[in-house]
Amino acid sequence: MSGESDESDRFEDVDWAALESTGAALAPRTAVVLVGALGIVAIVGYETLLATGAGPTVAWPVAYRATPLDGLFALTMLVVLAYGIHPLYDNPRLTRRYWATFRRNRAAVWSLWFLAVVFGLGLAGPMLLAKPELNVAAGYQPPVYTAVPTTVSGTCVGPVVDGMCRGTWRHPLGTTGRGKDVLVSVIYGMRVSLQVGLITTLIIVLLGTTVGTVAAYSGGLVDEALMRYVDVQLTFPTFFLYLLLLYLFGGTLFLLIVIFGLTSWGGTARLVRSEALQRREEGYVRAARSSGAGTAWIVRRHVVPNVSNTVVTNASLLVPSLILFEATFSFLGLGDPTVPSWGQVIAAGRGDLATAWWISTIPGVFLFLTVLALNFVGDALRDALDPRAAS
Amino acid sequence: MKWYVLRRLAWTLVATWLVLTLTFGLVAASPDPGASAYVAQQVQAGGDVEGAQASYERARGLDRPLWAQYRDYMIGMATLDWGWSETRSQPVVEAVAAAWPYSVMYGAPALLVSTVLGVAVGLYSATHRNTLEDYAASSFAFFGISIPDFWFAIVLILVFGVTLGWIPIYYRSDVPWLSLANARQLLAPALVVTLSSIAGEMRYSRATALEYVNSAFVKTAKAKGASSWRRVTRHVLRPALVPLSTILVADLLNVVLVSSYLVEVVFGIPGLGLLSYKAIRQQDVALVLATVLIPTFVALLGNLAQDVAYTVLDPRIDYGGREGR
Repeated sequence: MSGESDESDRFEDVDWAALESTGAALAPRTAVVLVGALGIVAIVGYETLLATGAGPTVAWPVAYRATPLDGLFALTMLVVLAYGIHPLYDNPRLTRRYWATFRRNRAAVWSLWFLAVVFGLGLAGPMLLAKPELNVAAGYQPPVYTAVPTTVSGTCVGPVVDGMCRGTWRHPLGTTGRGKDVLVSVIYGMRVSLQVGLITTLIIVLLGTTVGTVAAYSGGLVDEALMRYVDVQLTFPTFFLYLLLLYLFGGTLFLLIVIFGLTSWGGTARLVRSEALQRREEGYVRAARSSGAGTAWIVRRHVVPNVSNTVVTNASLLVPSLILFEATFSFLGLGDPTVPSWGQVIAAGRGDLATAWWISTIPGVFLFLTVLALNFVGDALRDALDPRAAS
Repeated sequence: MKWYVLRRLAWTLVATWLVLTLTFGLVAASPDPGASAYVAQQVQAGGDVEGAQASYERARGLDRPLWAQYRDYMIGMATLDWGWSETRSQPVVEAVAAAWPYSVMYGAPALLVSTVLGVAVGLYSATHRNTLEDYAASSFAFFGISIPDFWFAIVLILVFGVTLGWIPIYYRSDVPWLSLANARQLLAPALVVTLSSIAGEMRYSRATALEYVNSAFVKTAKAKGASSWRRVTRHVLRPALVPLSTILVADLLNVVLVSSYLVEVVFGIPGLGLLSYKAIRQQDVALVLATVLIPTFVALLGNLAQDVAYTVLDPRIDYGGREGR
């Protein structure tokens, strides 16, 4: 760090006004997030409680009706932008240092590009493309440049050469047995994975950080009670807990996300607590306390920011596992039957492995690559954010 | 130490009770999927809705007060009377007893292979850090933790079953257990379970061994002329085994339980996983409960074994609060 001579390093440039501002005035970022959150809650509240009719509320530019899930997703994106992306933009020197470490991991950089594509397609695709529909006349169409016997495909959308049905660009990745376009299903599946991965992780991070810091800071009976509860939560093997809860209460993607989020924050809480216990003893916290800062202020301004790297690293590894869980339960038929998710398409093609290989394999490739990319990125993030963990 | 083990034992019992109580509470609080199916069936056959509901509740004792149901449920659980499976027309315990050998048949070898191989490869990676082999092993581990079990199983069936014809597409339970044909059809499921569990094992043992590879006592051993094999087995593996043994018991077991569930569904092996899957599909609540509770109990026992193993293996362990964890 000694070689750095950036402007913001100099003592004179410390923003005293920002440091002296009291907790009474809201920071601009917090204000933006609050206003945005209120807006989202208002729209979703209106749609679910007051709006009449089953049709879309907005007809233009695209027919649209906000659901609670959309609201949660918008909230998540808002929080990620405000507390994940904005600080990076705000603090270019730190960003450059993180990026320099991150970039050393070439697989992670490629993964980041791949994830950016998945993210963009998952966000924009479902707005532009119609939901894949049943079309019995176009079942079992092979992907483009491949061919299957017409005995498999039945009626063939593309040209038939020597009794072989050839794939067309109308269905670049083929169709399922009931004529759903695999490419469109995969793009819709991207959004499902995005929603599950991001929203659930946000719920887990919020609950885990709150419980962890409160436990570390309160100590005594509160700490004991909270951590005992975490012990109980972690006693259940995650998979079988999800299985039981989804069997009893599941059925929609919204509920799946809520179930995942409310039952999986134990590990994060434990991690944050042990980190916060260490931070509590640091000099800057004692200095803040001796100059009269209250507990809430110390937790918010000194403890949470200083455990945030641990939390981000932890969260980046939660995302792939949650996406994998969602795919698994969709595959087992415990997901949302109305949402085309990757696991569901894989399950749909399972009976046709001998004749229509593409239905089960193609969504699986996307699932595998996404999880792999997320794991690579998580690994590189840990190296960049947490110098102590670097081996 | 005895006091610590006793306390862990007591906690396991409390946790078991909590798991059972919570499960009872969850089932009591949720609409019974079996009831609606039964009512729909009765209504179609000409009965009325309320009569069908009442007769369903009477048949299962659901019209009694909640605490009486709870008492009977707990007594039933403790005495291994786990209820009646509607879809299989046999006691749940019998269905489970018939299923579990199939799960163990390929799960146990997979567990063994992934443990031994995983630790060996992890140690090799740690002692040959940043070599080509190390990178290859790390990439393989990434591959292993990222690939969805159920999809990998499907791909294996597609490539080796459908295209090459080396393995059967569906499991056949009519071949004798100790036969070549059975071994052949269990090879692919065992491979999937091994792959998913070996990856975590490799990464963890590599990270653990790395802590010791450059420690003073290993350097001393090298200085006095100990061979590389002796250094690895005597000086690195032994201290590394302590943290490793804990992940071996609890976490690995968990991975194997989950991946065997999925593997059984894909390959059609009539073990506990497939039993549970069919019970879910056919709304057989008693059987669903049993097949979810059994892995939970196995995991609880694994946790207990992990803690006890720790006290035996590591003299430094702190028996006090959980500050150190």
